[in-house]
This record gives sequence, C-alpha cells and structure tokens, in this order.
Amino acid sequence: MTIASTSPHKLASAQDLFALTKPRVMSLVIFTAICGLLAAPGAIHPVIGFTAILAISLGAGASAALNQWYEQDIDAVMKRTANRPLPAGRMDRETALHFGIGLAVFSVLLMGLAVNWLSAGILAFSIFFYAVVYTIWLKRSTPQNIVIGGAAGAFPPVIGWAAVTGDVTLMPVLLFAIIFFWTPPHFWALALFVNSDYSKAGIPMMPVVAGRQSTRRQIAIYSMILAACAIAPFALDRTGAVYGTVAIVLSIGFAFLSFRVALSKTEDPGAMKAEKHLFSFSIIYLFALFGALIADRIILA
Amino acid sequence: MSEIDPNKKAMSPEEQKAYQARQKHRAIITAALLFFLVVLFYFITFVKINGSVL
Repeated sequence: MTIASTSPHKLASAQDLFALTKPRVMSLVIFTAICGLLAAPGAIHPVIGFTAILAISLGAGASAALNQWYEQDIDAVMKRTANRPLPAGRMDRETALHFGIGLAVFSVLLMGLAVNWLSAGILAFSIFFYAVVYTIWLKRSTPQNIVIGGAAGAFPPVIGWAAVTGDVTLMPVLLFAIIFFWTPPHFWALALFVNSDYSKAGIPMMPVVAGRQSTRRQIAIYSMILAACAIAPFALDRTGAVYGTVAIVLSIGFAFLSFRVALSKTEDPGAMKAEKHLFSFSIIYLFALFGALIADRIILA
Repeated sequence: MSEIDPNKKAMSPEEQKAYQARQKHRAIITAALLFFLVVLFYFITFVKINGSVL
C-alpha cells in the first residue's frame, strides 16, 4: 500500500488537526492528570488548576501529532491507522510537524508562565520522551517498546502533582510506577487476541517477536510488580483505608486474571477469553484505582 | 522568494469553493480559540496578581 499523495491545494481541515492529537488517548491523560492534581497535598486555584490540565492535554496532543508525523509510513500499512489524516492524504507532513512543534512549545510556555516551571520541565521532557525516545528511537527497534511507551503515559499524574506542590516526592513517583507497570499487561493482553498488523509494519511487538507463551509469562510478572506498586501508597501510610482496600482487592483480581492468561495455551484469538477478560478489567482497574485515590483524599480532608 | 511548482494546477470552481469553505471554517475556529485564550489569560493575570479572580 502506498501513501496517498496530498493535492497541492489541500488545506488540512480543523477536524483533521484535532484528529492529529489522538483525542481518545487524551481522555486517559486528562483523567490521570486530574487525579494527580487532586491527590496532591495543598490547594491550587481552580483557574490555575484548569490551566495546568489544559497545558498537559495540549502537550499530549503535541506528542500525538509528532508521533503521527514520524509514523506516516507505518500508519499507511495498518488497517486501524490507514484513515488517519496523513496516510489518507488529507494533510501534508509539514503541517503535522509545524502543528506538533507549535503545540508543544505553547503547552510548555503556558504551564511555565501560569503554573510553575517544574511542571513545565516535566511536561517538556514527557513530550521529548514520547516523540523522540519512544517514537523515533525505540519503537521500531525493541519488543520492549510498549514498556518504554508506558513511561510517556505515566507522566501526567506527576505533572498534575507538581502543578500543586511545586515538587516531586515519593507519592507521585508511585503514581508514575502504577501506570508504567500497568501498561505492558494492558497492551499485551490486547495484542494477544487482536491482529493489529504490527508485523506487516515492521514493529517488533512482543507476541510476534518472543511468542505468545513468553508474552503471557511476562504479563504475570508485570502484574505482580503492579500489585506491589499499587498497594505501596497505603503500606507506606500515604493514603487511607479506602484506597488501601480498593488497591488490595483490585490487585488480587488483576493478578488472578493475569495468572489465568499465563496458564492459557490457546492460539486461537477467538477462544482467548482470559486475555479479553484481563484487557477489559485492566481499564476498570486503572480508573477505579485512581478514583479511589481521589475518594480517599476527599474523605481524609 | 517564491518558486513555481510545476505540479500545481489551477483549481476548478468546485475545488476553489471547497478550499475557501475549509479556510473559513479554520479561521472561525482559530478566532474562537484566540478569544478563549484572551479570557483565560485575563483570569490568570488576576490570580497571579491578587491570588484570586475577584
């Protein structure tokens, strides 16, 4: 499949520029950033809090735009992504690059001037990490790409926390670790039962490179590390019983489903019930865990 | 300095109409975003100076 050529008179529409920011991915970024902001000790003015979330969202949008600018060739060969503005020929690459860089610079300046420069610095690093370290450097070269990409997705609660407190303590690091270790089991569970054309695009995804059984074993290992990170805020007395109870119950459920996946031997994607259950539960897990963190903070306050 | 693009053909009336409609739509969205930012910076200025909006 070839990349559709862009007509010389093609002017990218506002909808296509919006699509370039991956709005669906942004919803999780906004949610975890709000959780980091609300869980942090201290207060932030609602206008500044709103501006911090806006800057984090724009930064995530910039990362997504730069990612699509670089991955036009990959997106063109995968069914799921072939209709994105660049591979479909509705926008030229230069527009995507300028839009991504412009949005990145604006989001960091907005964060620095309106909130504080520590959160702006972390935001700038997270954009650099996703666009350069993950997209350009490691995604095409290692099957651990999802693990590394998970780090980029784990920054928003840290930025939200730093926006309120102006520092980064153990608690935001634990929030980072929760998302970081949650990402591989979440994505690999999906990759086991969905044929996403990654091999056709030359992306070394774990189930393709290391095989399904190795991926299943790694899911179980990551679920244990995730459980340790999720329970740590309660064990270290940084949260109350509400979060502690929810974290323990959810982590037992996550570990149970992960071990069911590890014991599964099926090669037929249609029969991969354990993998589908784990994938669905992983989404509930993250939202419920961060929701419990906020509930806990409200109750303690 | 502008260069002449040999691949560039003149637009048909329909293409020109669609192009101008897209241009107008983008201009309206840009204006709305700029207005939103003006209001946001107005409130941020108050918070930074007074510690509150009012």
